[in-house]
Amino acid sequence: MSIDINKVLKTLGISDVNKGVSTGQEWFETKGAITSSSSPIDGKEIAKVKNATLDDYEMVIKKAQEAFKVWRLVPAPERGEIVRQIGLELRKYKDDLSALVSYEMGKIFQEGKGEVQEMIDICDFAVGQSRLINGVSLQSERREHRLFEQYQPLGVVGIVTSFNFPVAVWAWNSALAAIAGDVVIWKPSSKTPLTALATQKIISSVLKKNNVPEGVFNLVVAKSSVMGDNFIADRRIPLMSVTGSTAVGKRVGGIVGKRLGKTILELGGNNAVIITPNADIPMAIASTVFGTVGTAGQRCTSTRRIIIHESVYDQVKNSMIKAYKSVASKIGSPLDEKFLVGPLIDEHSVNAFTHAVKSVEKEGGKILFGGEVLEGKGFESGNYVMPCIAEAKNEYEIVQEETFAPIVYLIKYTGDIYDAIAIQNNVPQGLSSCVFTLNMREAEIFVSSAGSDCGIANVNVGTSGAEIGGAFGGEKDTGGGRESGSDSWKIYMRRQTSTVNYGTELPLAQGINFEF
Amino acid sequence: MLILYSIKTFKMLIDKKILIEELVDNFPFSVNYLSSQGIKCIACGEPIWGTLEEACLEKNFTSKDIQEFVRELNTLSKNN
Repeated sequence: MSIDINKVLKTLGISDVNKGVSTGQEWFETKGAITSSSSPIDGKEIAKVKNATLDDYEMVIKKAQEAFKVWRLVPAPERGEIVRQIGLELRKYKDDLSALVSYEMGKIFQEGKGEVQEMIDICDFAVGQSRLINGVSLQSERREHRLFEQYQPLGVVGIVTSFNFPVAVWAWNSALAAIAGDVVIWKPSSKTPLTALATQKIISSVLKKNNVPEGVFNLVVAKSSVMGDNFIADRRIPLMSVTGSTAVGKRVGGIVGKRLGKTILELGGNNAVIITPNADIPMAIASTVFGTVGTAGQRCTSTRRIIIHESVYDQVKNSMIKAYKSVASKIGSPLDEKFLVGPLIDEHSVNAFTHAVKSVEKEGGKILFGGEVLEGKGFESGNYVMPCIAEAKNEYEIVQEETFAPIVYLIKYTGDIYDAIAIQNNVPQGLSSCVFTLNMREAEIFVSSAGSDCGIANVNVGTSGAEIGGAFGGEKDTGGGRESGSDSWKIYMRRQTSTVNYGTELPLAQGINFEF
Repeated sequence: MLILYSIKTFKMLIDKKILIEELVDNFPFSVNYLSSQGIKCIACGEPIWGTLEEACLEKNFTSKDIQEFVRELNTLSKNN
């Protein structure tokens, strides 16, 4: 299958030079820097974007604040209806938006489609949730009083997304924020602004058809000199949702914490697969290879470590090498469906990959497969690498870090499942984890309070590829935030406890007597 | 924006207040140089936030070290 990228750009309304600021249907002429977006696939420039200035940012914030006053009064199921229509519109453009995700970010087309499907799924979820935003009714200790808790909209929600899921993360946040009665300001990654522009254009027809006020769904493409610490520190934004590295998350947490704002931080992972002697090894290998090389190792949930019992270590090692040899012939343009692994996002990521390969060797590890930067026909952009398998120890400095590239460390364990869990938990991050075992005790221990310390703990399911139905996020250096399904909607709202006196007396709580 | 321009050469100069994002975009060689000093400019594929000075202080470098980094980066800039 070949994708005509020019046709895709035309369908999605992407021109050679694009406006980078929108408040819904309106797009604004801005005087910020003009930046360009290039494809990691072939290194070619795709299009340019006019960035925002500080004045543009101020204009958007004010528009968002005004829109909130209207949007919060719209009944939640009506807000859900808008999100339902957004989901339908995304279905119409699924292939085109997926192709642009692939071309601008570098993930294979199948994964691009998976990402847009996540957008659709969270819209569906949010529609249902819009009728389920609930509170709780409690028993008052005072006669003829009603005591209840309810959830109210928060206001403006800031969303900062990363290049690796350029549009899905926006959808996770904005679909829930919208049904909650909030308005959003989206700052997309500077590496993938075009997918953001395309998404904004896709939803604009829904906003127009339903007379949604300008300022509910805002997009601002800006350099961090314009929209960096000032954005995070802005007290007019009660909730900041940031997806990125632990380093960025710590900065955001510090700044927002100083003003006692709320955050959703979805940061780095150092995700491990445990393979016990009781594992279905072929299943474990098939799942783990997707986890290690899928999206060229650039998912937050990519598998970084495989912790293998000594009794099956050689079997797993040899099977992994065999699988990687098969994958080696399937590295190439993500727009060609015969390939399974695309490029890294840029030369800096390639350097990070080669640095990790060198570091693990320097610390005493052994490269078992790959680790090279690919050259020659089809790899001219310089962003393609051969996925790497290395033998290592968990305490190596490089193993303790997250390298956002396809390098996985094999770590041997002896003893029982508790020993494997101890190794797994002994990293600063705590996003995703899994165990492969057919032993009920091992499985249950892994998901017990003595088990994995991660936000995601799976059994016979790999570390990557979460469904939207469950809350997504992790612990420790992963930030502690939760997005997407379950009751994640609550973070987009403020909790309010109310007591209503419908009687003629004025009793005080705790029976306090205060007569004057 | 804390980027200085030399009038004679029209080449951007680096100072300690430059944002890491600007450094990565305009002086990509800086990423490797700073990495060799133990300062990561890129994490999860994206530039870290903040200034060069802040990134150095985070790693406990002194003002004198930072001054030296800035000097060396500007020297490298001339050769790139």
